[in-house]
Amino acid sequence: MDLPAPPDVAGTSLSGTEPYIISAEENRALCRTINAEPATDGSAHPIYYYIATQVGMGQTVAGLCEVCDFDVEVGPMMAGSKVTFAAPLMTDQPYLVEGEITSIVRKQSRKLGVMDLMAYELRLKKPDGTPVLTTVNSWVLPRRELA
Amino acid sequence: MTLKVGDKLTPFVISPVTRESMREWAVFLHDPNPIHLDAEVVKAKGLGDREINQGPTNVAYIINMLHNNFPGGVIESLDSRFLDNVYADDTAEAFGAVTEAVAAGDRVRVTCDIGLRVAARGDVISGTAVILAPAN
Repeated sequence: MDLPAPPDVAGTSLSGTEPYIISAEENRALCRTINAEPATDGSAHPIYYYIATQVGMGQTVAGLCEVCDFDVEVGPMMAGSKVTFAAPLMTDQPYLVEGEITSIVRKQSRKLGVMDLMAYELRLKKPDGTPVLTTVNSWVLPRRELA
Repeated sequence: MTLKVGDKLTPFVISPVTRESMREWAVFLHDPNPIHLDAEVVKAKGLGDREINQGPTNVAYIINMLHNNFPGGVIESLDSRFLDNVYADDTAEAFGAVTEAVAAGDRVRVTCDIGLRVAARGDVISGTAVILAPAN
């Protein structure tokens, strides 16, 4: 079956405009929900790699779906998440997010039918440009209307 | 570090995954997706009959497992592939095994296969992690 091309969104900027700060209070609350002891050296739980980049990027989850011509109410699904750290994440430190959509591929899945696999890269850095981490996330966007 | 290639890591278990945690993570993530908050929405979408835990929360369990197994270590990279959902009331177990250990100055760079499983459905995340750990 020939499928229509996915939206031409590779290269779309996801850079944020406002700094993101991991509050020490929120870090403690997050650690409590997952039965982890907060660090005593000011470092944040490493899962903030995902939270800081998602919240600090220039789109909400719904907005990113809209860019991909996808209704968030249909339900995007995480397919993968990779992070490479250059430095630990610290509480009460402003961070900036740069990034872009890197690819979107339409395919037929036995389990989900027609779907788009969309990937985006986000880079977290300090305001002086010092790199902190790079993450690549991929989402499945089911396209049941094309089945 | 006393772990060597082939050793299994001590699991980290969350029992149970709670709805209260999902409500808090919706705030942390600025993501009010109702599949994490309302079982009726999950049913209506044909995705199951209970609230679905946020994917990053599942990754956090794996990070806890790595922290507990490598005190004083730092995670250099983590690659997670999502295979299935974790639902409210599930018991989730993060697990791992050492696949490589290479000296790096006075530390050791350890590569592990990692994952998360739930009793009812098996593995829900699989992947790899690299940790720079103290040598002793």
